[in-house]
Amino acid sequence: MSASKTTGWHHLLETSADDYAEALRARDAAINGFLEIDTDRRRTPGGVSPPDDAPPDGAGPLAGLPLAVKDNIAVRAFQLSCASRILANHVAPYDATVVARLVAAGMVPVGKTNLDEFGMGSATEHSIAGPTNNPWDTDRVAGGSSGGSAAAVASGMVPLALGTDTGGSVRQPAAFCGIYGLKPTYGTLSRYGLVAYASSLEVAGLLSRELGMVRAAYEAASGVDSMDQTSVGLPDAQARPAAAVQRVAFLGGELGLDERTAQAYRRMREVAVGAGLTVEEVELATADAMMPAYYTIAAAEASANLARFNGVRYGERPIFAENPEALVRHARTEGFGAEVKLRVLLGTYVLRSGFQEQYYQRAQRVRTAIRRELASVFANHDLLILPVYPTVAFRHGETDLTAFQQKLADRFTTLANLTALPALSVPAGVYDGLPVGIQAMGPAFSEERLMRFAELVAAELPPERPPAYGVPLCDEIGSGGGA
Amino acid sequence: MDRSEIDLTAELALLEITDDERDRLEREITELLEHFSAMNEVDIAGLEPTTHALQEGNRLRQDVLRPDASIADEILEQAPDLEDRFIAIPNVL
Repeated sequence: MSASKTTGWHHLLETSADDYAEALRARDAAINGFLEIDTDRRRTPGGVSPPDDAPPDGAGPLAGLPLAVKDNIAVRAFQLSCASRILANHVAPYDATVVARLVAAGMVPVGKTNLDEFGMGSATEHSIAGPTNNPWDTDRVAGGSSGGSAAAVASGMVPLALGTDTGGSVRQPAAFCGIYGLKPTYGTLSRYGLVAYASSLEVAGLLSRELGMVRAAYEAASGVDSMDQTSVGLPDAQARPAAAVQRVAFLGGELGLDERTAQAYRRMREVAVGAGLTVEEVELATADAMMPAYYTIAAAEASANLARFNGVRYGERPIFAENPEALVRHARTEGFGAEVKLRVLLGTYVLRSGFQEQYYQRAQRVRTAIRRELASVFANHDLLILPVYPTVAFRHGETDLTAFQQKLADRFTTLANLTALPALSVPAGVYDGLPVGIQAMGPAFSEERLMRFAELVAAELPPERPPAYGVPLCDEIGSGGGA
Repeated sequence: MDRSEIDLTAELALLEITDDERDRLEREITELLEHFSAMNEVDIAGLEPTTHALQEGNRLRQDVLRPDASIADEILEQAPDLEDRFIAIPNVL
């Protein structure tokens, strides 16, 4: 298993925790992937009992590995800011279930990673801590909203990171940074301890350069959780979709890809044909309605979920107010950034009486139509292959893509969230200096099938490292050499 | 979405909007709502709405304190201001 290639990480925290912390800070100076770093705080587990099914200490492929966690997922004793002013000084009192399970498997949280405020964005630029830079080209974005997690992995700072994916927030930054990004079947990773943005769409996800590590972490972290009503257990292996891949559908039609992405998509098709798979092309009649349905539902759920941020029980608030409502209004007005305000307003609008039928209720029915169409694709094909994003990592600011174009470009990733299905962003080569990721989607609980496909691809197009970060930190420290 | 709609929606969402923000929000939200009309092209006759991703029915658990979950003090420490074990808010008139 490829996890064995990364033994360099296994004893790093045991032997060189302080050197590692220093090296992390030095390397992150040009990336800004981390909001908080501490390699010591969680080396001694305590306070939380591991789940009953936890492996014995020190055993298993994840033992001793450092873990980076997106800062909208609770890690006890670390900050939980969601990159928002309103939670600037908040500290998590407990571990999210996914974190607790990875800790029980031996992983050690070493830091919290940058994101778009509350997970709302495609570039990790809507953050109180400033943007995260892409390790392949620091003038470009790392993607979003899990940009900090993706950049931390791609630049060799950690072997694995946790993210969240509401409309593509694990897969798109993984694609921009040239690593694997798994958005699992909805519910298989508990949402307990994730700060809610759009509850019916979002899932925790995994980012790594090693497929073996994604597999091991998914195995360790998944399963039913009594603390999350929407969590689901994995069916028995025999009841899951078979892992073998035979017939794959490539999304066809007018896709609007930039040159490098189009080249990678063609290359992916050649690899599939070369591997002996039956390749067919499909078009989706509901394609144009995906982004509208996604943004309608996500904004509506966000406006309800973010109602809890009122500055009373926790978070930032004004020191004086004329009445209780003004206290809440001031806390929210000063605490939320521009993109969050936009989505809360949009969500409030589509839920208002008089507009609800036209937007929110229609979006929920469109979602049903999309799910039916996908079900018919998977009745005849093992996988659907499609781009992650129509472009490579774009430049900072709105130089290449306006805010609206960035939202339109979520059209390929939102499909997996609307349908609750698993999807994996697979590195598909480097083109003129930038990586491109292509997405494999499958029926519910087909994660292993997605990984088998990724293995086929890796045989032809193994993930590469960014030239500036060719040596992961574990090897840099291990060899005693500098950067 | 025009200015008065923005102001009314902001009122409902407990947000204050500056003049600069109002211009930008008006432009960006209008652009999105216009694009949302693409949903009208989908035939949804007879389709039930999807409200949950995967519905498995209610899951119940015992309403008891978990032995490892005595984090009440840590949660209270997150409050901006405490009086004994009560969360205090600023003076309001």
